[in-house]
Amino acid sequence: MHQHLETLLEIQDLKSQKTELQDTETERQVQEEVFNISIDDALDALDRKVVEMEESLPAPIRSRYNRLAKRYPRVVAPVIRGTCYGCFVSVATAVSSDAGRNEEIEYCESCGRFLYLVD
Amino acid sequence: MRLRDFFAAGAVNLDLESETKDDVMRELVSLLGIDERSRGILFKMLKRRENLGSTGIGKGIAIPHCRSLVANELRVAFGRSEKGVDFEAIDGKPVHFFFLIVAPPLEVSNQYLPVLGKIAQFSKEEGVEDRLRSIESEDEFLALLDEHNV
Repeated sequence: MHQHLETLLEIQDLKSQKTELQDTETERQVQEEVFNISIDDALDALDRKVVEMEESLPAPIRSRYNRLAKRYPRVVAPVIRGTCYGCFVSVATAVSSDAGRNEEIEYCESCGRFLYLVD
Repeated sequence: MRLRDFFAAGAVNLDLESETKDDVMRELVSLLGIDERSRGILFKMLKRRENLGSTGIGKGIAIPHCRSLVANELRVAFGRSEKGVDFEAIDGKPVHFFFLIVAPPLEVSNQYLPVLGKIAQFSKEEGVEDRLRSIESEDEFLALLDEHNV
């Protein structure tokens, strides 16, 4: 997998984790009561890691990432059976059949999101 | 919803070989039958979750869990280590029983938290660790879950 696509996926997963901790009461309860986690500390740690990983992206990718992040909660969209699951538009065959499978950074021509090809 | 329905064939290993926290997480992820690159990302996400605080809840049980885009559906695995692994558990004791849960960021059925809750509840039941120690097959393990109505 392309190194920066992997970073983008990780950032997105960390942001999802943060959103869930912030917005889902049940998630907070489980993490506090079952795992003894301090939610405030966890949110701070996630924030720091996201910033650190965002800063590790090269300028052109970070610029696109920042633009997308202002519009969409998730900037990487899975491609399943040739469809971008960000905007539900078919992606170019050349992209969806990428022989290298996520070895290049690809974008959706319709919504602009980074694409992650799911097996 | 029955917990057993989330275990794919081969997702139960009663003889984990790993001796470290990282290795046991890698070994658990390998039970999910997913491709290598996805395994690597899941491992990193599990590690990041562990960095927030151990999922070792005591009584020799840990529930490592994460959500990631590389997981296309909710999946659960179980592993048992006879020797035990230092998982930095809440009670400081080695962990012998591992329930791994991975899920996509959004699931239509939204069962990630209920599954996590069921496993946590099951883990707290009296005598569970003795039963987990004595099971000898995947079928026995799944029957134990059924017996506890989880």
